[in-house]
Amino acid sequence: MGEAALVSGPPVVRAAGMWKRYRGRPAVRGVDLRVERGELHGLIGADGAGKSSLLEAIAGVLSFEGGVLEVLGVRIDSEASAERVKGRIGFMPQGLGLNLYPELSVEENVDFFARLRLVPAAALAARKERLLAMTRLAPFRRRPMKHLSGGMKQKLGLICTLVHEPELLVLDEPTTGVDPVSRRDFWAILSELLRSGGLTALISTAYLDEASRFHRVSLLHEGRCVASGDPTEVRRLVPGAAVSVEAEPQADAFAALKAAFPQVEALGGTLRVFVEAATPEEATARVRSALARTPPRRVAADEPDLEDAFVALLRREGARVEAGPPVAVGAPAAPGGGDAIEADGLTRDFGAFRAVDQVTFRVRPGEIFGLLGANGAGKTTVIKMLTGLLRPSAGRGRVAGVDMARSDRAVKRRIGYMSQAFSLYTDLTVAENVSLYAGIYGLGRAAARERADALLAMAGLARHRDARTASLPMGMRQRLALGCALVHRPEVVFLDEPTSGVDPLGRRRFWDILFELARRERVAVLVTTHSMTEAERCDRLALMFAGRIVSDAPPAVLKRDVERDAGRLLEVVADDPAGAVERLRRDGLGDPVLFGRRIHVLSPEPERDASRIRKSLAAAGIACRGIEPVPLSMEDVFIYRVRALEEREAWRAGGRS
Amino acid sequence: MTAGVVWGRQVLALTVKELRQLWRDRPLLLYVVYLFTVELVLVAGGTRELSHAPFLVRDADRSAASRELVHDLREPWFTLRGEVRDPGEALRALDHGEVRFFVDIPPTFSRDLGRGDTPATVQLVVDGSRVVSAWLAPSYAGRIADGLSRDQAARNLGRLGVDVAALPTIENRRRTWYNPNLDDAWGNALAELLSMMTVACVLLPAAAAVREKEHGTIEQLLVSPLTPLQVMLSKALSMVFVALLGTGIALHGILRAVYGLPAHGSLTLLLAVTALYAFTNAALGLVLSTFARNTTQVGLLILLTLMPVLQLSGTWSPFEAEPEPLRAVMSLSPLRHLVSVAYGILLRGVGMEVLWPHVAAIAALGTACFGAGLWRFRRQFG
Repeated sequence: MGEAALVSGPPVVRAAGMWKRYRGRPAVRGVDLRVERGELHGLIGADGAGKSSLLEAIAGVLSFEGGVLEVLGVRIDSEASAERVKGRIGFMPQGLGLNLYPELSVEENVDFFARLRLVPAAALAARKERLLAMTRLAPFRRRPMKHLSGGMKQKLGLICTLVHEPELLVLDEPTTGVDPVSRRDFWAILSELLRSGGLTALISTAYLDEASRFHRVSLLHEGRCVASGDPTEVRRLVPGAAVSVEAEPQADAFAALKAAFPQVEALGGTLRVFVEAATPEEATARVRSALARTPPRRVAADEPDLEDAFVALLRREGARVEAGPPVAVGAPAAPGGGDAIEADGLTRDFGAFRAVDQVTFRVRPGEIFGLLGANGAGKTTVIKMLTGLLRPSAGRGRVAGVDMARSDRAVKRRIGYMSQAFSLYTDLTVAENVSLYAGIYGLGRAAARERADALLAMAGLARHRDARTASLPMGMRQRLALGCALVHRPEVVFLDEPTSGVDPLGRRRFWDILFELARRERVAVLVTTHSMTEAERCDRLALMFAGRIVSDAPPAVLKRDVERDAGRLLEVVADDPAGAVERLRRDGLGDPVLFGRRIHVLSPEPERDASRIRKSLAAAGIACRGIEPVPLSMEDVFIYRVRALEEREAWRAGGRS
Repeated sequence: MTAGVVWGRQVLALTVKELRQLWRDRPLLLYVVYLFTVELVLVAGGTRELSHAPFLVRDADRSAASRELVHDLREPWFTLRGEVRDPGEALRALDHGEVRFFVDIPPTFSRDLGRGDTPATVQLVVDGSRVVSAWLAPSYAGRIADGLSRDQAARNLGRLGVDVAALPTIENRRRTWYNPNLDDAWGNALAELLSMMTVACVLLPAAAAVREKEHGTIEQLLVSPLTPLQVMLSKALSMVFVALLGTGIALHGILRAVYGLPAHGSLTLLLAVTALYAFTNAALGLVLSTFARNTTQVGLLILLTLMPVLQLSGTWSPFEAEPEPLRAVMSLSPLRHLVSVAYGILLRGVGMEVLWPHVAAIAALGTACFGAGLWRFRRQFG
């Protein structure tokens, strides 16, 4: 591949045996890292793996104790040396828009950072216009930063980091908490910037599905670099096969598989097993034999993905991947056969703005129902109406058979709620948080203690019961928040972006708990998420756009519908992928998107389009190394749907004026 | 399990949570401890008497009488900074703030004093930019001059053969009740305790309520089977607990132990009213918190509300001296009523038979604030 062409000259970042301690506790333990010029390098790892510390040290804002660090050819060994390269680095710290000034407008923010970096006025004017146009923020230049959406804040942050034309861009989790459409936009802008030359980017991410977007990735675990390389190479580090199974009862099959294999996950109605060091045939056979008691309906083996490899690599390092032992944490099986959640024409207006418009759906007991949508699509408002926090302007929401507009206290005992920010009392300990909620739900002392023990065991927090919540990593806080929401054995649980900011391993454990809850105890789960790998784990997904539900079906059906409408997804491997994307776009071959060094194109007629792509690339003198159909991801589905709706909306608005 | 038991358990769980949070918030806890202890000691040391007021003298008379006058302007009330020949020099010192006043004794002073046909004059030039000493210095100096002139008159009369002791005089013998030594520390420390308790009682619950809004924990409480009443009540109750503890420590550990403040009335009654008062102020704080989005806003709002309350409730200036309309407004200040109750119980030893209107006023204000808070809270989150 184009690898050799890219690696030229000395690396932009070279770290060898780097150490960083906080009060004696090591955060970075001998990291080796190499970032080549012009590369999009990804840093992947759990919370506390040392990503932020490493990035901050490279950006010259954090001192470190041991090892060698060279950035842009300068050996960083003192504050003075860090100052020398700072002008050539752009650093965006973690936290959406935290480096920006909320009261200042988009333009004022850009100007401020430019002046701070002593950018000459003439250069600034041109650069600002180019960047504002590229990020499509130009129409909003006078809007105060605090009134921007999450995706826009992130793009503004990127502009402010780029305004002095750095050679090295260091971004710490820039996509956390940003919706998939804005995320794809962000990656497109980044590819464009890299293509225009002279820029190298080092980026950390909490979304494993983003790993394939990098030219090279480094996997960090407990302060060390576990693996590094091209995404395909990293995937091949752990040979094996992924097997998808459908079996009933699903919970038993899940338990049986977990007993036999270390890497099992539930994706809605399907169970997925990663079998290490096995051919697809061997893997299928081994999965079948493990499921002797619950004979599977369907077994299929396919290629393992990057996430399988990551989890396997982390497991080798001794990371705990699975949840604690399943315990009865939910309500006893819900009585009757009624729906757990019924939303009927739910509508909510804020002044003239309609946040939620005629939303109707049903969730059955034991079902995991996902609500997807961009920031501001109305997901949180729906949850607030269903939990009785907001009154609907019109329509009705019934939970466990009771109308929530009356927000009956008895029904509140039957629902659990976990809000976006894991609203825990961070100054209380783990055990104190649980016992507070036990008290709120009126549990007696003995019952509360018993319940706390069970929940803390489930959440894997038994060892941390006396730790101050503020000191816990996000993943643990999230499981604690879930524990608190389950104290009273609710029949229905509402989770609003429960995994935002939580690392991949933490998320797997969290979803295992949700699965047990739904399947064994028939708890109905309504969850919103920005993570598309999580969306695949839901039984049913509703996609929200501008306050309305635009599709409501199981993930597989959603994918099938998009394939029917828009065709198959083709993956193109070519030299000079960025040039290839431009060429294909110019030749009108769909809407090609760059994933690392690969190109994805939706094609209604795969055979014909494949030959057209070959021809188009050949005409441009770009060698095409292969074209093959790949399965659609949930992200592709989401973006296809949202783009279509946006276009329709824009067309309608245009027609009106 | 009855509904009442569950209701009580819920409030208890929330109240314990509030106290735990305060206990964990070390800087805030330190601040509260400071308010109830060190702050009182610092303020108790302050005095409203004249003390060490620096002055200059121009003695153009240079007589025994003029020297006697200067000698009588003495420590600890006055500090002589020296003598000048040129009055201009003294005026410059006044301009520069080096002295508070200037005594100008004319050359005719002892002559006029001895003859008695024209009054002997002395000029006192006072720095009016320092209000307190500008009031006090002339009054003290006047009293000293009066004494001197009385002595001189007696001397002159004696020389004329009049029996001075037989002359009619009114002697000013002061017997101060309730605070016989006019100990400043009693008034100062008690006034400060009441003021600081007010600050703590409004601030802590308001800050706690706003923090729940900021962190989003309030939503978590509202989706649980709690009523706004329970959430508010638990914050007020935890504050009552803190106020009682603080007042108890301040009264016994500092006011009584260090300054010998008497307690002529029932301490139990005082603590009971303190509890009621803490509740009222906590309710006020909770009302204010519903108007604020973050801690800074609520802090500024409290500053704005408490400033007049602390200044005009009779702690630092006599309440009856205020103009009538202001007095009417200030009777809405719970502190104004607590001042009457605390001074009444501790120093005058009276009980409910006298103080009930004030106690009733605190209770009425508390009910109104709590009701308003509940209404605002329901409107915001209900």
